[in-house]
Amino acid sequence: MTLPSGGLPSGASAPGIGTALLRVGLALVIVYSGLVLGMGWWQVAQAGPLTNDPRNPLVLAAERNAPRGRIVDSRGQVLAMSVKQPGADPLRRYPHPAMAPIVGYKSLLFGTGGLENTYDGQLTGFQQLGPGDELLRKFRSDPYDPSELHLSVDVRLQEAALRAFGNDRGAVVAIEPKTGRILALVSNPTYDPNQLSDPATARAYLDTLRADKASPLLNRATQGRYVPGSVFKMVTAIAALDSGSTTPETTYADQPRQYQTGFRVAGFDVHDAPRTVQLDHPLNFYEATEVSCNIYFAHAGLDAGPANYVAAAARLGFGAPIPFDLPTATSQVTGGGGPYGGFQDKVELANAAYGQGEVLVTPLQMALVAESIADGGTMMAPTLVDKLVSENGNVQTVDPHVMSQVMSGTTAFEITKAMERAVNGPFAAGYAGGAAVPGVLTAGKSGTAQLADGKRPHSWFIGFAPAGDPQIAIAVIAENAGPGSQHAVPIGGQLMQQYLQLAGGG
Amino acid sequence: MTWPAAAPDFTNPDLGTTEAPGRVAKRREDLADHMASARSSLWRAGIRPRPRPRETLLLGLAALTLLVGWVSLASFRAGRLSTGDLGPLLTYLGILMAIHVTFIISGRRMDQILLPVTAMLGGLSLLLMSRLPQDLVVQTIAGTRFQLAELQLLWLGIGFVVLAALAILVRQDGWLRYYKYTWAAVGIVLLLLVFVLGQEVNGARLSVTIGPFTGQPSELLKVILVVFLAAYLADNRALLARQSTRIWRLNVPPLPYLLPMLAMWGIALAVVIVQRDLGTALLLFTVFLTLLYVATRRFSYVALGTVLFLVGAFVLYHLFGHVRTRVDIWLDPYADPLGAGYQVIRALYAFGRGGILGTGLGAGLPQAGSIPAIPAIHTDFVFTGLAEELGMLGGVAICGLYLVIAERGLRIAARAGDEFQTLLATGLTLVIVIQAALIIGGNLKLVPLTGITLPFVSYGGSSMLSNAIVIGLLLALSDRGLGRVVPPPVRSRSAREAAAVPVREAAPRDLRMDAE
Repeated sequence: MTLPSGGLPSGASAPGIGTALLRVGLALVIVYSGLVLGMGWWQVAQAGPLTNDPRNPLVLAAERNAPRGRIVDSRGQVLAMSVKQPGADPLRRYPHPAMAPIVGYKSLLFGTGGLENTYDGQLTGFQQLGPGDELLRKFRSDPYDPSELHLSVDVRLQEAALRAFGNDRGAVVAIEPKTGRILALVSNPTYDPNQLSDPATARAYLDTLRADKASPLLNRATQGRYVPGSVFKMVTAIAALDSGSTTPETTYADQPRQYQTGFRVAGFDVHDAPRTVQLDHPLNFYEATEVSCNIYFAHAGLDAGPANYVAAAARLGFGAPIPFDLPTATSQVTGGGGPYGGFQDKVELANAAYGQGEVLVTPLQMALVAESIADGGTMMAPTLVDKLVSENGNVQTVDPHVMSQVMSGTTAFEITKAMERAVNGPFAAGYAGGAAVPGVLTAGKSGTAQLADGKRPHSWFIGFAPAGDPQIAIAVIAENAGPGSQHAVPIGGQLMQQYLQLAGGG
Repeated sequence: MTWPAAAPDFTNPDLGTTEAPGRVAKRREDLADHMASARSSLWRAGIRPRPRPRETLLLGLAALTLLVGWVSLASFRAGRLSTGDLGPLLTYLGILMAIHVTFIISGRRMDQILLPVTAMLGGLSLLLMSRLPQDLVVQTIAGTRFQLAELQLLWLGIGFVVLAALAILVRQDGWLRYYKYTWAAVGIVLLLLVFVLGQEVNGARLSVTIGPFTGQPSELLKVILVVFLAAYLADNRALLARQSTRIWRLNVPPLPYLLPMLAMWGIALAVVIVQRDLGTALLLFTVFLTLLYVATRRFSYVALGTVLFLVGAFVLYHLFGHVRTRVDIWLDPYADPLGAGYQVIRALYAFGRGGILGTGLGAGLPQAGSIPAIPAIHTDFVFTGLAEELGMLGGVAICGLYLVIAERGLRIAARAGDEFQTLLATGLTLVIVIQAALIIGGNLKLVPLTGITLPFVSYGGSSMLSNAIVIGLLLALSDRGLGRVVPPPVRSRSAREAAAVPVREAAPRDLRMDAE
C-alpha cells in the first residue's frame, strides 16, 4: 500500500488522507442525494400541481400543438370545440354562448376562464396519468391524450332560463337533488366567448365587457353575493326545526298583535310585509311559511339561538367557498366577530332569520339549500362534469358524493310540507303560487330582499319539483326586479316545468 | 477507517485471481511470449498492447443505450419506427472506438471506467442537441455553416481527442508540479483577459472573442487553479497542518500560511465582481476548501472558509445588483414570473411535466408549439431538458454517472504516487462533480441558479475542452507508471546534470507489480 504520508507527523486527531478522501466522497454522496430528493420533490410530489398550474405556459403551448378536447352537454350537444385554421393556431368555437358562465372561454390572448380553465390539463391531454399510462404514452407518436368533457347541464334548459330573464340581471342555478348534478347555471347578462377566443376581436371586446356597468364577466350564479330576503327563512327553518327549539306546530301567541305593533327586539321593531290574510290567529310553521311571516321566523331564529343558527348555516356551506369546479364566493349569515355568538346582538340575529341583517348569499348556495331539503336533508356536492372521455378511450366518471348531512329526514320532510303549502296553499297566489308546475306537486319559497338606499328589491325564488320525488331543485334571483312573486317565482316555475317535460320526453 | 488498501485494481486483468504469485508471473510470461511472437513488430517498436475488457464492455453498453435513444427520438419524430440519420451518432461512436483502440495499443494501465462514463454523458449531450431546435446556435467556420448538433459533435470530437492525447501522452507531472506560480500567473492573465476583452452576456461577463471563436476563459481557469492549488498545498501541507494559532475556540493556522486562502477568497470575489460569474466563484471556493481539508485534514479550515464565504456572500448581496437578482429569483421566482424568474419557473414546470418516467425523447417542451423553450436550455438548463424527457429516473441516472466519476477520481487520488498527485486527482474530480452538482441544484431551485455548464452535457467548446483536459489528466494519473522528474530549478552543477536527464522515480512496471 502506497498511501502518501508525506512528512506529516501523524497527530492523534488528524485522520489519514484515505479517510479524508472517503469523507469527501461521502459528502459528495450526500450532496447528490440532496439533488435526487430535489428531483423527487418537483417530479413526483409537485408534479401534479405544477402540471395543472394555470400559470403553466406549457398548457398553452401544448394547446397549439395538440387538439383540445370538446365540451358537450348532457345530451352530447357541442358546447366548445376547436376549429383548425390553415396557417394559424386552432380557434376555439362556442355554438351556445348562453353556456359562457359554465364553459368559460379559451382565448389565445387572455388565457382561460370557467371550465376551460379548471379542466385545462385534461382538455389538452396534458394531465399526468398514472405511471402505467405514462409508460404506455411513451410508445405513442402523440404524447397528448385530450379528453372530452361531458357536462351534466342541458343546453335547452340553460337557454330557456336566459330567455326568461330578458333584460333583467340575475342568475339561476338548477340542481338534480339526488346527485348534485348541476342542470343549469345561468348568469345574465353574459358574454360571447367566441369573441374572446378570436384574436381579431378579443382585445376590443374585452375592453367593452370591462366597461359595461352590468358586469357581464361576473358569474353571478357562483360569485354574486346577494341579500336573500324571505327565501332565507328556509335556513332559519332548518336551524330551528332541526335543533328542536321549534316544532311545526309551534305558535307565538303575541305574533298577531305584533303584526300591528311590530315585534320589539332590543329596541328594534321587526315588521311583517303588509298582508290581508291570516291575521286573526297565531300562525304555525306551515302557515307562517305560506304567508312569509317575518315575525314568526324572527321568533324561531331567536329561540334557536346563535350557536344552532351558525352551526346549521355551516352545515349548508356558509362561511367558506363551496368546493366546486368554478370559483365560488363565500356566503355569510353574519359579518362575523360579534359578541352574540358571531352576531352583533339579538337584533342582527332576528333580522338574519328572515333574510336581512348581514346575510349575503350566492345563488348557488341557495340552490344547495333547496337541494338539501329536496334530498331529505343530505347535501350532495354540486358537480358540472359527468365524465371525461379521453381520445384513447380512457373514461373517468365523476361519482356523486355527499357534501354534508344538513338536517334530519324529518326536518326536511316538514320543511317540504311547508314549501308545498307556500306554492299550493289557499293564500299562495300572492307568494310562491306562481311556481306551481301543472300536474306536479311543487315546493317553493319566494323572497323579496329589501335593499338599502331605496333600490328596488331583489326578486328571489327557491324550490323543487315534484315535491314527492324531486327531480330538480332551483334558485332564481332577478336583481332589483321587485317582489319575488312577480319575477323570480314564475321563472322558477316555468324552468322546473320545462325541465320535467324535457326529462320526461327524453 | 482508511481507504481500502487492497482496492481491486480493475485496470489490471491479472489481479483479483486467486492464483499464487508465482503462477501469475508464469502465466504472464506465457502470455507475453505469445504476444511477442504474434506482434513482434509492435514489440520491436516499443508498443505493448494491453486489453481493456471492462472499457470494451462498458463502451458497448453506452453505445447500445445511445443507439436506442437515437432510434427512439427518430421514431418519435417520424411517427413510425425509424433510425433517422445515424451519421452524427456513428461518427461519435467511431471516435470513441478509435480512442478505445488507441488506449489498448498504448498499453497504459489507465482506469477503464472513466472513458465510458464520460462517453455516455457526451452521448446524452449529442442526443439532446440533435433534438433541440437546430438554429439555437449557428456558426460559420471556414465558409461552412454549422448548427447546434453539428457544432456539439465537433466540440465532442475535439474534446475526446484532447482527452485521449493527454491520457496517453502525459507520462510525468513535472511540467505541472514545478511551474505552479507560472500557472497561477496564467490564470490571473486569463482573468484579466476577460476583464479587458470580455463581452457581457445575460449579465455575466464570461466570453472572450478571438477571431471566429468565442471562448470562456473561466472554464480553463478552474483547471489551472486546481493545478496551482495541488502544487501549493503539496509543498506546504506539513506546515499548514502542524502549526496553529488559537483564535477564540478555533485552532487556526499561523496567519502567514492563511494568505493563500485569503488570496483564493480574493480570486473568487474577483470572479464574481469582474466576470459576474457566481457559479465559477462558488465552484472554485468549494474545490479550494475541500482540497485544503484533504491536504491538512483540519476542519477548522473548512469552518473558517465557510465563515469567509458567508461574509463574502453577505457583502456581495448588498453591494452588487446582479448577485441580489440571482438570490431573489432563487427565493421567489414568482415575484417576476415573466422577467427574472421566467427561466426558473419554466424549468420547474418542465420537471413537473417529466414526472418519474419522463415524457419520452422528443416529446418534451422545446417542441411544444411556437412558444419559446426554456431560455438557455442547451447550456444552463440541459439537465432540465433531459430530466423532462427522461424523467426522474433519467435524472437520477445522470447524477449516478457523476458520482461514478467521483468514485473513480477519489480512488485514483487515494492510489496516487504522492501528495501532489493525490491532491491533483482530488481537485480535478471535484471540479467536475461539484460543478455538476451546482448547476443541477440550480436547475432544481435548491441553490441559486448560476451560469455554469453541466460537464460534457452542456453545449459549448470551452467547457468541453476544459472538462476533457480534466478527465484526460485523471486518466493519466490513474496509470501508476506516471513518474516524477527531479525539480528543474537547480543550483549545483551536479544537480543541473541530473536535471538534464530526467530520472524516472517510478520503478519498472513489472517490479512494481510484484511489489504489490
